[in-house]
Amino acid sequence: MARNTENRFEHEFIEDYEDGACIFEEGDTGRDLYIIQSGAVQIKKNTPKGQINMAVFKKGDFFGDMALLQSLPRYASAFAVGETKLLILKPAGFLMKIRRDPTFAFEMLQQLSFRVKMSNDRLLEVLKRNQIPMEEIQGILNLLGGGSQA
Amino acid sequence: MITSIQTDRLVVISDLHLGNPFSNAKKKVLPFLKWAAREKYDICINGDGLEIAQASFSKVAFEVPEFFRILGDFKRAGREVYYVTGNHDIALEHFLEDWGMMKVSPFLNVTSGETRIRIEHGHIYDPFFVKHPQLYETLTHLGGYLLKMHPEFYRAWISFERFTSRLRARKTGILGEKPEFREAALELSRRGFDAIVLGHTHHPGESVLETGSLYLNPGSWMLTPHFVNIHSGKVSLMEWKPAIPSQRMP
Repeated sequence: MARNTENRFEHEFIEDYEDGACIFEEGDTGRDLYIIQSGAVQIKKNTPKGQINMAVFKKGDFFGDMALLQSLPRYASAFAVGETKLLILKPAGFLMKIRRDPTFAFEMLQQLSFRVKMSNDRLLEVLKRNQIPMEEIQGILNLLGGGSQA
Repeated sequence: MITSIQTDRLVVISDLHLGNPFSNAKKKVLPFLKWAAREKYDICINGDGLEIAQASFSKVAFEVPEFFRILGDFKRAGREVYYVTGNHDIALEHFLEDWGMMKVSPFLNVTSGETRIRIEHGHIYDPFFVKHPQLYETLTHLGGYLLKMHPEFYRAWISFERFTSRLRARKTGILGEKPEFREAALELSRRGFDAIVLGHTHHPGESVLETGSLYLNPGSWMLTPHFVNIHSGKVSLMEWKPAIPSQRMP
């Protein structure tokens, strides 16, 4: 159920989800960004070995950023954990949101930076555990870093 | 940079302006800090703790040693000191952090129990500061000279802001504040904050937002010693009374 409170919020709305409800599915073409007002959201991804849990986001966290920022299909699926209320930002309202709430951009960058570090750390751990040669690890990291920078 | 913390007990004070010709906040804030340390609170100074826009460095250096000594004791007792930068002390951001006694950040997201609280100085929501930053800085600087000559000018200005605020059609915010501050708090509340604490305006008060979240401002200790008390997820505005610090704002 969508509801607008004021004109300035015309590109964003609030939706309630029941426990286990699907918010979006992997491969969907939606571009909305989601911020959790209450409840939690689990992100799941299909792999050749079955579905894996990628992350659980809680109140105040955002998700759906890949589709919004890179115009890609949804990378994974999102499901509500418990009664969940989401603020949904339409792509057209994203820059206006940042103008009204500039620290939101700061917090997005901070969270994205954290997620990149976590991914790199996990990848390094897996590569080391599988005894992959150092040169190959370096090659993968260079690829992730977009070049040879540290 | 740390912007998210968890704590059970935190007090938030704002706009001490130590070093400002008008500020006598030091006299009140030192016993308050000792009380907070005894009661095992962490402390957050929500911007403009030090005055470097309207006072000379020597004046500030004269005013602050005892203040920092108590903050040091705070830290040694295992309590945390957070400093959110404001427009009068933003240049000190890295300088303060390098001292190692406090964590400095542009805003703070606090989780206390099940409650999420946003603490931010709020100058970036001041329409005059945002639209005319250079003019704002120049007038702030000139205001410093005026305060040196007539410190009571500040009190007159605050009364004027309260008067003009009463004339506005929408009277839903904190008395004396421009409506933009409450709008900013509403915007933040839509991101899942149960309470939003701003400073900057020097007008203490609280207001319930359309989202059901609480918007609070502890004002400035240059006028009245209000603080925001965060205790096990409960957030309230209080006035510091040296004997019994429990009187709630009307």
